[in-house]
Amino acid sequence: MTPFEEALKQALERQEPAADFTARVLARSASEDTKAGGWFGAWRLGAVAAALLIAAGGAAYQRHEHDVRGIAAKRKLILAVRIAGSKLHEVRQRVAESAEVEQ
Amino acid sequence: MKNSILKMAIIAVSLSPVWAAEDFKLPINLDKLAERAKESVDVTLDSSMLQLASGFLSRDDPDEAQVKKMIGKLKGIYVRSFEFDKEGQYSMNDVQAIRAQLKGPNWSRIVGVKSIKGENTEVYLLKNGDQIGGIVLLDAEPKELTIVHVDGPISPEELSRLGGHMGIPNMGKEKKRTRRESGTPDAKEDERDDEQAEK
Repeated sequence: MTPFEEALKQALERQEPAADFTARVLARSASEDTKAGGWFGAWRLGAVAAALLIAAGGAAYQRHEHDVRGIAAKRKLILAVRIAGSKLHEVRQRVAESAEVEQ
Repeated sequence: MKNSILKMAIIAVSLSPVWAAEDFKLPINLDKLAERAKESVDVTLDSSMLQLASGFLSRDDPDEAQVKKMIGKLKGIYVRSFEFDKEGQYSMNDVQAIRAQLKGPNWSRIVGVKSIKGENTEVYLLKNGDQIGGIVLLDAEPKELTIVHVDGPISPEELSRLGGHMGIPNMGKEKKRTRRESGTPDAKEDERDDEQAEK
């Protein structure tokens, strides 16, 4: 065996890993997963919160619009009833007056 | 087959004037009067708007509760009212266009009052069998024109019941006041009624 072959054999000799090698690898892998999951989780939570905020805002705006239209419709209705009632009152008064004149 | 289609067409044509007569619409040209008017009111409330308004009427307020009950069956309320600075701001053609629609067989004029002051008031009822299908009130005064159309089952009495509420004068009290002022024999009877009511 030449000295070169001897050196090569030594370099390629099988070496057993340290006893905590598996545990270290698993621990590192778990830490990487948590890091990535944390980012994704926060982003997802933010998106859901934003969507909820938009939906709540939209619903509140719709409710406000409905209230504004409803109150305007109520005012119009009361005005219409007031005019109709007053005019009918005038008519009845005129009829009553003309009946009294005839008597 | 051809005969049945022909029969159906004849029935449809013969019924069409009745439908047209029932379908009262406020003339569009009335809106032009608003430009000349000192004050104008334009109220258009179809069934959906009435429903919306009804939701905002309180059940606890007696006036609003009464209106809520009254409008429950209605299909619409339409009011056009114009008040002018001087006479002659609207033509009789404007009024005729309204009257023409009320000449159908289902419409009947229940009240027509003309005064020497030039006030001309008419009330028309739409009859659907025994039921009242609507009311049109037309009040043409020298400086004022008002048209009220209540579409749906309502009687003038129901509207009158609102007297004394919502700023509408009470017919009964008004009558008594007139009688008291004129000193008619009924006045004493009215006073007795009022005393009893107070007790």
